[in-house]
Amino acid sequence: MSNKPEAVTIIMIEDDEGHARLIEKNIRRAGVNNEILPFSNGTDALAFLLGPEGSGETKAGRSFLVLLDLNLPDMTGIDILERLKTNTHLKRSPVIVLTTTDDQREIQRCYDLGANVYITKPVDYDGFAHAIRQLGLFFSVMQVPGTA
Amino acid sequence: MPITSNAFVRSTTIFLLAGAIALIAIVGASVWLAQRTQQNADAILAVREMRAAFGDLRTNVQELETGQRGFLLTNDEQYLAPYSAARDRILPALQNARQLAAAYPAMDAPLQDLSGIIDGKLKELDATVAMQKQGRGTDALAIVRSNEGKVLMDHARAGFNVLFAQADQRLNELGDELRASALALRWVTIVAAIVILLMAGGSVWTVVNYTKDLATSRNEVDLLNASLEVRVRERTQDLRRANEEIQRFAYIVTHDLRAPLVNIMGFTSELEASLPPIHRLIERVEKEGDPELTREAKAVAVEDLPEAIGFIKTSTRKMDALINAILKLSRAGQRPLKPEVIELNSLLRSSTEAIQHQIAEASGAIDWDIHSPPLVSDRLSLEQVFGNLFDNAIKYRDQTRPLRLRVKASAAQHNRILIEVADNGRGIQKQDHERIFELFRRSGSQDQTGEGIGLAHVRSAIRNLGGDITLESMLGQGTKFFITLFPAILRPSSGALQREQQTRSCNHHHDRR
Repeated sequence: MSNKPEAVTIIMIEDDEGHARLIEKNIRRAGVNNEILPFSNGTDALAFLLGPEGSGETKAGRSFLVLLDLNLPDMTGIDILERLKTNTHLKRSPVIVLTTTDDQREIQRCYDLGANVYITKPVDYDGFAHAIRQLGLFFSVMQVPGTA
Repeated sequence: MPITSNAFVRSTTIFLLAGAIALIAIVGASVWLAQRTQQNADAILAVREMRAAFGDLRTNVQELETGQRGFLLTNDEQYLAPYSAARDRILPALQNARQLAAAYPAMDAPLQDLSGIIDGKLKELDATVAMQKQGRGTDALAIVRSNEGKVLMDHARAGFNVLFAQADQRLNELGDELRASALALRWVTIVAAIVILLMAGGSVWTVVNYTKDLATSRNEVDLLNASLEVRVRERTQDLRRANEEIQRFAYIVTHDLRAPLVNIMGFTSELEASLPPIHRLIERVEKEGDPELTREAKAVAVEDLPEAIGFIKTSTRKMDALINAILKLSRAGQRPLKPEVIELNSLLRSSTEAIQHQIAEASGAIDWDIHSPPLVSDRLSLEQVFGNLFDNAIKYRDQTRPLRLRVKASAAQHNRILIEVADNGRGIQKQDHERIFELFRRSGSQDQTGEGIGLAHVRSAIRNLGGDITLESMLGQGTKFFITLFPAILRPSSGALQREQQTRSCNHHHDRR
């Protein structure tokens, strides 16, 4: 994000509004000022990212970083992950899975499908806040390619 | 319709008894008939002997007359020889005939007559022979010519005829009786043969029928067994499914409970973080503003809010611990078992390695008594189970005496393996014997840290292996755990894992609305 920080949009797909708010707060506390677009369900998020015809072409040239919760009301985060990582335009956009699930098989599955980072939300808030802030720091140094 | 074994015994006994009675009757009848035949034969011999005696007597009488006639005609003593011989024999012969005829009353009268006639004849003969010897031949011939002797002789002949007729009649009767006895014996034998054949046939029929019924019953039992096995398999399948369902339920519920908990924790912390600025504000206002208002606000900000936040945080942390415990348990239940051959001796001994240090510290010792065949089971589950039990033994030991552990393993009834882990620790009171296997339940004084999930986990793991765990304990004396295991765990349907993964990625989210 360091080269074109303003261009990177953080797409936060999280159905729990409280979680979304806490994540946003802590990212901001880490000094990340990028635009954060929250979506509370998978359908809306995919509609935005892939465009009306579902090809993802409309968003060509933009940089996205996806924060993905696995437990969504309308579909599983794994479905979204699969759709993004198999899309020609979006496959290089980093996807960070941020969820309460710490099951080993689930984690393996996400990495198999191309997730870039998998973070389990700690229930203990200090841990949670710390993890998100570190993630924010991580954002500030990571390179995000534009979509094709 | 099937013959019960009682009825079988009864009918067989009746047949055998009837056969035995028939045989006894036949033997009795045969003996009796044979005896009668013997008597008959004896009687016939006796009558023949009597008849022969009559014949002898008649011959003697004729000899007498012949001798007398010859002597009288020739006056030659030589011709008198038959007479003399017969005269000597006649009385004994008569005596003999009378004796033999004594048993036949019918002979009495004719024999009496005959002996009278013979007496008369003998007198006539003696008289004539004596006259002839004295030289009075003409007198003797005169007596002969008087026809007295001839008449007597005719009477004697007639008497003999009567006697012979009587004897022959008697012989005929006896012969008829003998034939009747033989015939009866033949009939008895034939009837007996038929009766015995019937009995034997009846017995054979009963045995054959019973055997047939037995075979039918055995087939039915086999059939029932087979269907029973199918039913047991179905039930086991149902149970396994229900168990998986419960574990999945626990997993999902705990997961879903976690999400709101993150919020409660998070926003409570946010609240807490907002306190310092408020405190600072109140301090500033206190210096310049309305003292009444600030005192009230200060009480809220400095005392009430931190207290409330503190309680919320403690409770949330506790709830998180509980949820984690349930999650751990459900995850352990969902882990697919990996059956492998396990040498119980080495597994148990290595399970105690982790506590060797503490055992030494408690100046304790372990007695080993392992006589168990190798079993096929899940190593990790067993290690967790025994690790837990040994940990508890250390944790809840009686501090006043050296720790003593006893580990026993042996083959038990019904093709099972029994493992006993006994300690001399503080024991568990009776009302807690079942309770301590429940989640979050602990027993005795709460002087040790713990969440109350150890034994719940142990029981769940053992049952997952198809076994069970029970305990015996006396408060203040010690506790003995009994673990029964099958020599081999049923290999869980390999679909269990796949099914779980499928439902995890689908249900998980669909169920979540």
